[in-house]
Amino acid sequence: MRLGWLIGGAQGMGVDTAANVFGAAVARAGYYIFGSREYFSNIKGRHSYFNVLISDKQQRSIDTKVEILATFDAETVFQHFDDVTRHMIYDKALEPVSIDKVRSIEPETAERQAGILAKAGLGNTIGDVAAYLSEKGVKMVPIDYGPLMKDIINQLKIDPFVAERARNMICIGASFSLLGLDSNYINGAIEQIFAGKQKFFDLNKLAANAGIKSAGNAYSLKDLETKGHRVQLDGNTISALGKLYGGLRFQSYYPITPASDESTYIEANQVLAVNSGKEKHGVVVVQAEDELAAINAAVGAALTGARSATATSGPGFSLMNEGISWAGMNEVPVLVTYYMRGSPATGLPTRSGQSDLKLALNAGHGEFARIVIASGSHDEIFEDAVTAMNLAELCQTPAVHIIEKTLANAYSVVDKEAIITETRIERGKVVYPEDPEHYKRFKITDDGISPRAFLGHAQMYYTGDEHNERGHITEDSANRTVMYEKRIRKRALAEKSLGESQKVNVVGDADSVLLTWGSPKGAIMDAMELLKGQGIAVQMVQVRLFSPYPAELMKKLLAGKRQIIAVENNSNAQGAEVLTEQTGIMPTNYILKWNGRPMARDELADAIKDVVKNNTVRVVLNGGK
Amino acid sequence: MEANELAEFNDWCPGCGDFGILRGMETALKELKLDFTDAVLVSGIGCSGKMPHFVSGPISGVHTLHGRSLAFAMGIKLANPSLKVIVNAGDGDTFGIGVGHFVSAGRRNASLALVVHDNRVYGLTKGQASPTMPLGERTKSLPRPNINGPINPVALAVSSGYTFVARSFAYDTALTKDLIKQAVMHRGMALVDVLQPCPTYNDVNTNEWYRERIYKLTDDPEVHDESETLAKMTQAIQNAYIPEDKLPLGVFYKNELVPTYEERIAANIPNYMENFPAAQKIDENGSSVTDLKKLVDSRTVI
Repeated sequence: MRLGWLIGGAQGMGVDTAANVFGAAVARAGYYIFGSREYFSNIKGRHSYFNVLISDKQQRSIDTKVEILATFDAETVFQHFDDVTRHMIYDKALEPVSIDKVRSIEPETAERQAGILAKAGLGNTIGDVAAYLSEKGVKMVPIDYGPLMKDIINQLKIDPFVAERARNMICIGASFSLLGLDSNYINGAIEQIFAGKQKFFDLNKLAANAGIKSAGNAYSLKDLETKGHRVQLDGNTISALGKLYGGLRFQSYYPITPASDESTYIEANQVLAVNSGKEKHGVVVVQAEDELAAINAAVGAALTGARSATATSGPGFSLMNEGISWAGMNEVPVLVTYYMRGSPATGLPTRSGQSDLKLALNAGHGEFARIVIASGSHDEIFEDAVTAMNLAELCQTPAVHIIEKTLANAYSVVDKEAIITETRIERGKVVYPEDPEHYKRFKITDDGISPRAFLGHAQMYYTGDEHNERGHITEDSANRTVMYEKRIRKRALAEKSLGESQKVNVVGDADSVLLTWGSPKGAIMDAMELLKGQGIAVQMVQVRLFSPYPAELMKKLLAGKRQIIAVENNSNAQGAEVLTEQTGIMPTNYILKWNGRPMARDELADAIKDVVKNNTVRVVLNGGK
Repeated sequence: MEANELAEFNDWCPGCGDFGILRGMETALKELKLDFTDAVLVSGIGCSGKMPHFVSGPISGVHTLHGRSLAFAMGIKLANPSLKVIVNAGDGDTFGIGVGHFVSAGRRNASLALVVHDNRVYGLTKGQASPTMPLGERTKSLPRPNINGPINPVALAVSSGYTFVARSFAYDTALTKDLIKQAVMHRGMALVDVLQPCPTYNDVNTNEWYRERIYKLTDDPEVHDESETLAKMTQAIQNAYIPEDKLPLGVFYKNELVPTYEERIAANIPNYMENFPAAQKIDENGSSVTDLKKLVDSRTVI
């Protein structure tokens, strides 16, 4: 069972909060939730929305089409009316408003959406939209928001400007009524989310209950039995939790979307309970002056033995290149959490993309072993964050953990154990030398890993220049040959340290393989479920570890396949390009999308069908608003 | 080659001002009894960047990137505030490619000692004008007179929030040593701007040129009460801008009433000074010691 619900509104009008309350409320009835967030690079006024998927099983994707479109402004109606299949909640008073009166809508969007109405011989008002949808069998749920809001303002005697932010809660209430779930769940969710803020609790509760009375039961959802606990977490927070659990104690960052939320969360919770609450650990979080300072401060901190990291996205990562190169040269374990967004340049700063994979793999001048891990869904991020820090320390080299914007800003309601896994901490060859004055930080060893002491515990030298075992500069040619190879030889240890499923996630078994990495995993897994019912079998091969690349494993997995279909959120299929570079294997078909929006299950299922049945070489998706 | 163990190894040009700073640094470390257990030398790129490799004595060194030495130093200091972190950087390093970090270090006031090797040229790249070379000056490898105005390190430091600001001359090794010692022991961000000849590329600001101009400041530079701050800053900036036929040396400004960055962190993390990041044991035989219960509970919906 899958049911899609979409709420939209102007940025700053509490769409996020509304979607969180709604998700938490539906979750209380025993449902799993996946909520995907879209917003503009803007503080107030532009259109943002949450597409929330409700299911009786864990899901990792949305559909472009939703059953319920929940609106309280005009723009959301115009933006999304062609996405709804069963119910639209809207403000009755807005019926005369035409699309050209909505100033925040982009002209390209307005023209396209008005075109749909014109093609049906209609005008371009909200009333016309209602007529268009009614004709298609979508049921209208008009609400008189104005009088309801006036009532609330009078009852609570509050500033209408403050009250305005609860308008969305009327919409949430009406949505909940349509689902037919117990309204107590909404009150419980409001109580949790607005804990300690009595004024907002009262306001939102009143608004939600006004909404509940404005619509009737249409879906008759039943309460489901649950076992254990479920958590509601977004990707930024999961990464932060993974890093803290994995022992992160120093994080420096420069503000950038969509990475900063992680650092802000860590700072807010920087005093950690450890050893069952008996002690406290403090995590130092530094807002640096730029990304150059952010990476280099993290590298400096790592030299003292603290697990250190930074978090950034494309523009910031570009600036970090030189620091990553220094960390490679000096064999410093440092983690960069790379929140990938739409590139190049500023690109689509609040949208998603996978076009920086090769940057992550090649960042920093020079050749050295490095770790690059890409998470495919919320349930991989926590473990991957710990694993990335482990590999960085085991191999004494920088690690990059890729999390796309679409996962960072989406939330899941899932079983707690699906996210919070008891991942072990491995710190590698750490030593406290007995003869600290003659310690050799870069001692040549069989596996390329030198026993690592921390600043303060031994006499040691680091330099970005080529150096000898002691860490002093030398340009000697024989030393260069040996030291250079040492920094590369470490790859073997990284490969040995992970199990196959941590390197490559394989789901299903079929002749047609969907070769992917990162967030498309969610839509693929959910589409596979859908296609199974239609007799179409495909296999997913999702690369999780990109460096060192599991070339032999990939050759084994892809041997003899009829179709290798690259599924990625970019135009060059960069993940598949890496496969070709490492194994000589070429994909046969492509399903690609680079409009900044996540792959949705419905559009992907259609594309897979097309490729599997007709052997279409390249399908470009464009779903999502 | 273990350069520091062979103290005579050094590849600076004969007569380089860096030798004076090196002697000052070595003596300061010795007199302060600092070694690798409690101090780290951090450096940038350029002739000055090689300093940690050339210091004799049991000390650790981190030779970093061009312009970024303060960022590395900040990370080291904040992860392990028990270490004295001493930064050596060039004038191009500090006031050109790294000037953003220089200014930001003042805002934080972490206890770092920054020693700038200020010779007005980029020596290792064959003598281009550095950010401290005066407008119109033409040293021997410049194709034309310098068309950029200079940064005044002392004034920029004072206005950026440095709480210890001093100037020395490389060949006055006694003064250099004394100012480095004060900077290292200072609570807060410290600058020692060391004027130095570059005998290879700077044929204008030579040893003789400096010797004719330098003299010791006698003003009391220290802020003893917050009400004096503006007056002492003004005095420091006035002294910094004395026309170049006279070059005052010594401490221009000192203020230990401003909380250090470590103290600001400790206000948020009560046990920070004892149990700082580098001192924390994050696992017990591979099991995380971190207890996420409270954080996860607040996100538990059912």
